[in-house]
Amino acid sequence: MLLRMMLAEIAHRKGNFLSALIAVTAAVAISVGVITVCDASRRETVRLMRDMGFNLLIVPEGTDMSDFWSRSFAEGEMPEDYVYRLADSGLMTIQHLVARLQKRVTWQGHDVLLTGALPEVQMTGGPQKSPMGLDIEAGTVYVGRHIADSAGISVGDEIDLLGRRLRVAAVLDEQGSIDDIRIYGHLHDVQEMLGRQGRINEIEALQCLCAGKQTLADVRASLRSVLPGVEVTEMRSIAIARAETRKMVERFAGLLIPAVVLIATVWVGLSTLRNVNDRRAEIGILRALGVSSRPIAGLFLGKMTLIGLLGAVMGWAVGTAVAIHYGTDIFPVTARAIAPLYGLLGWAVVGSALLCLVASWLPAMSAVMQDPAEVLSEE
Amino acid sequence: MIALDGVSKVYHGAAVEVRALDDVSLTVDAGEFVAVRGPSGCGKSTLLLTVGGMVRPTAGTVGIEGRDLYALSHAERARLRADRIGFVFQMFHLVPYLSALDNVLVPALAGMRPGRVEAAAVLERLGMAERVHHRPPELSTGERQRVALARALIKQPDIILADEPTGNLDPENAAAVMGYLADFHREGGTVLVVSHDALAEEHADRTLRLERGRIV
Repeated sequence: MLLRMMLAEIAHRKGNFLSALIAVTAAVAISVGVITVCDASRRETVRLMRDMGFNLLIVPEGTDMSDFWSRSFAEGEMPEDYVYRLADSGLMTIQHLVARLQKRVTWQGHDVLLTGALPEVQMTGGPQKSPMGLDIEAGTVYVGRHIADSAGISVGDEIDLLGRRLRVAAVLDEQGSIDDIRIYGHLHDVQEMLGRQGRINEIEALQCLCAGKQTLADVRASLRSVLPGVEVTEMRSIAIARAETRKMVERFAGLLIPAVVLIATVWVGLSTLRNVNDRRAEIGILRALGVSSRPIAGLFLGKMTLIGLLGAVMGWAVGTAVAIHYGTDIFPVTARAIAPLYGLLGWAVVGSALLCLVASWLPAMSAVMQDPAEVLSEE
Repeated sequence: MIALDGVSKVYHGAAVEVRALDDVSLTVDAGEFVAVRGPSGCGKSTLLLTVGGMVRPTAGTVGIEGRDLYALSHAERARLRADRIGFVFQMFHLVPYLSALDNVLVPALAGMRPGRVEAAAVLERLGMAERVHHRPPELSTGERQRVALARALIKQPDIILADEPTGNLDPENAAAVMGYLADFHREGGTVLVVSHDALAEEHADRTLRLERGRIV
């Protein structure tokens, strides 16, 4: 009888039902949409920032940083083994390690920055990421645009460099930076060519924000616990942009979702209060017939729970559809990765049912406390 | 069955004090049909709601089958109403969005056992067989009062408390409704009707007069 009465009342007072349902649906849709967009934004930011390059540089102990910035590489060296020690360290603060050895050489009258790079070493035990940077095969080189143009080099050519014959695997696009005068080779080839086997002079890394907020001091301390004495420098413009973008999106979501939930709670509460007022006579007669508080409260709380469940499903569908529709335009790089977050459906169902129960609790209690004589005397 | 002893009820307004019942003592025996007559505002409705356990008297006691009604807890009084007392009101107080049949079944929310077949049978007995699926706005006033009466009867109560049950009805329907109350009385039920309608007197075993909150 309770369910029959609840459904009949919903059909009778459609406006009240729809008003609360729209509030819950809108709140869930906005929350789900924002969370889906935030998730997409996080992926997009990570991807874009990753594409911008490494943001941490680890150089040997005693490196004069003024000298480093004027040369673009460290004069000192450290063992290649350092990169494996970092990879096995279990640190959560860094990802994507690339060991490099760089020296300026003169080749065919050109000033060249010869750069040996090891294929990326991933952190042991962590999730495997798609590799960053260049993956140069032994016996091949990648040639910067300025050198290639100056020396008339094309892909497939073979060049003689410091006693080694190497095949040109790629000519890089113009970067407008020192990269245009680089010749990249496999680290072990370059070490051999320079007579510096087992030596490197920098490790590039990507600072990971997945372990929570960290300052550069935190990162330095964690790295020095593994490699005492090394210098750690941060390419701040990249790091700050990366952190700020993510913070901005998270701050936006952190303000919007609670605001929307609060508005929906008030709306549902007022809607229930209006429903209680509309049904004063009905509640009065129920009390006169000896109906106890529980079924009377159940009429209101049950209706609102139903609204919560329906609103959750509808809101999730609407929020997800909107996020996917517009998200692919907003986040073109990771557009294909924007997908329904099915886990959110469960949270939405539980959350909106709870929201409706909380919002309608006081009005339902006021219905239960209503004096039947007051209504029944109104002839 | 019903015993009021020195019952007074005073309503305290902003500026005035209204004494709706003033030292009322009366007894209604089991199986008795008692009519209480009096002009509007004499305290008839307050008397009925007090007997029904919904208005706590300012003074005095109300006994139902020897139990002090207002010494019971809120829940116990509700249980007593659900099990033993049927109400009929001048304004019917039907649930507007439920069919006549479902209105009769509303006491199920209080744990009443009879189901849809019994409810349909009671409506049929009151001449409503063709109207069971109609909602109150689709029924005449006489039909609405019959549905309200059926809602009271479905519980098979010991007592029916009726507040101006014919107040909104034409003479034909008024006679029919009063006839149904008389049938209930003939079958052993106790009826307490408050009304200014002389029709109640015709069926009552006893008629009391209430004026300014006092039985005279």
